[in-house]
Amino acid sequence: MNSVHWWRQCATAASVLLLAQLSAPPALLAQEVIVHPGVGVTTITTNEARLYLTLRLKTWPNGVPVKVFVLPDGDPLHRRFSNTVLGLFPYQLRRVWDRQLFSGTGQAPTAVASEAEMLWRVASTPGAIGYVESVPAGASVRPLEVR
Amino acid sequence: MALIVRLAMWLLLLLSAAAVAGEGRVPSLWERLQGDRLQIHGFASVTGVKTSANRFLGSTRGGAVNFIEVALNASYQFNPRILFSGQILARRAASMSNGSPVLDYGLVDVTLAETVTGRFGVRAGRLKNPLGLYNETRDVPFTRPSIFLPQVIYFDKLRNMILSTDGLMLYGDLATRYGDLSLTLGGGQAVLDENVEWVFLGANYPGKFVPHGLTWVGNLWYSAFHERLRLGLSGITSTLGYRPGQSAPDLDAGQMQISDLILSAQYNAEHWTLTSEYSRLPLEWRGFGAYFPYRKSTGEGYYLQGTYRVLPTVDLVLRYEEGFADRRDRNGVQASAALGGLIPPSDYFAKIWTFGVRWDINPQVMLRADYARHQGTYTISTRENDPAALAKDWDLFALQIAVRF
Repeated sequence: MNSVHWWRQCATAASVLLLAQLSAPPALLAQEVIVHPGVGVTTITTNEARLYLTLRLKTWPNGVPVKVFVLPDGDPLHRRFSNTVLGLFPYQLRRVWDRQLFSGTGQAPTAVASEAEMLWRVASTPGAIGYVESVPAGASVRPLEVR
Repeated sequence: MALIVRLAMWLLLLLSAAAVAGEGRVPSLWERLQGDRLQIHGFASVTGVKTSANRFLGSTRGGAVNFIEVALNASYQFNPRILFSGQILARRAASMSNGSPVLDYGLVDVTLAETVTGRFGVRAGRLKNPLGLYNETRDVPFTRPSIFLPQVIYFDKLRNMILSTDGLMLYGDLATRYGDLSLTLGGGQAVLDENVEWVFLGANYPGKFVPHGLTWVGNLWYSAFHERLRLGLSGITSTLGYRPGQSAPDLDAGQMQISDLILSAQYNAEHWTLTSEYSRLPLEWRGFGAYFPYRKSTGEGYYLQGTYRVLPTVDLVLRYEEGFADRRDRNGVQASAALGGLIPPSDYFAKIWTFGVRWDINPQVMLRADYARHQGTYTISTRENDPAALAKDWDLFALQIAVRF
């Protein structure tokens, strides 16, 4: 195989891989921020959502401690939630959590493995906040509007 | 020493196994440790360093695995206002750091007031100095932009002096429509080790440095546009007293004033991050005796760094940095002449190009490779190098594996 041909094949393969990785997830998929029913708020601002999720605000207005649940950094739903609801790239969230965790000035959020786990952890933990694709009927969590 | 290496290897192996097992949906032991109020986390890294000349953290021309970091931390959220946390760190860096476990930080954080737009509180204990973008977490491989931090600002030859303070810090955060403001102010006693003597006195004399009065530290950060833009100003000032030893010859009981001021700027986009920092390091020596060569200098360092995220799990970093022992003598000619040419001018500056690759194999395991082209030896220590036999132009290549949980 001549080297020019070989390079062209490599370049094609690389660009296909890159495109597959870089293409944004469909923008129309929705996601819902959910909280434990005892949290006592129905609406928060984007700024507040950012402060709760980065664990810089530790209590809800009614005094209940905040418990944050998140999916893994690479999860498509996590990426979408981070980008569209918080306006932060997932790596920025990770950086804030790590800085707090490894300097002793804060704790890390609790990682869950799936949306199903997210639902039951948020439903069963007072003060919990998390997110799902959509809230199934009969779930004992409350959607939270972020404006 | 060998024990630490073996321990680190075992920990790496165990954590890698745990990380792989964690890919299945069975909660691992570590996940169960992250309870409601108590969290336990840690990390370990092993780094091989090869240099074409000169020594950096025990590197050799053939390459050596002499740089190891292992840490374990625990935090307990007693109630929403009170947090206890502590971290034990063992860091082995050839002759620079012997790998004994030390208390990296140990503190209580009390939130005095909290609203939906801000908070105000106090931290007491052993606190990491919040200097620049990286000092607080400088020993955590996952939070660094490359295997080694920009050495002209975050000297590894002198990490302890600016690493932490035993004392008290007040902090306040305020979120507004126009951006976030964050302020930290504190004071206490600097945590010192022998490297301070090697760097500021040029050798390990019979006596030792002790903290003299209070060390002050503070920072102010502004971030805007969803934390895409971050601007910071941070500084520390400290006085050290020299206590001569029993054996002569020794220096007189002098004093040394050390300050460091860092300006930071960072812009974060989805696929790239641009970072730059500038530091000024005014030093003053008083009363060390007639033969002591130094009086006053102002060190300076700055860098420009670009990070490109090729994939969410792969990034590339390119950085250029320059550092000078004295900004009024940037080519080191005067400093070298003052010592009769014993130390070459190139030991008083550093110009470094760094290229690095990071690959997060999974959320727990990271691999890294760095190549750095150095001109000058300002950033390396006389503790592991003979200053008269330093090579001006040299290369550094490093490979690192790190795990976390």
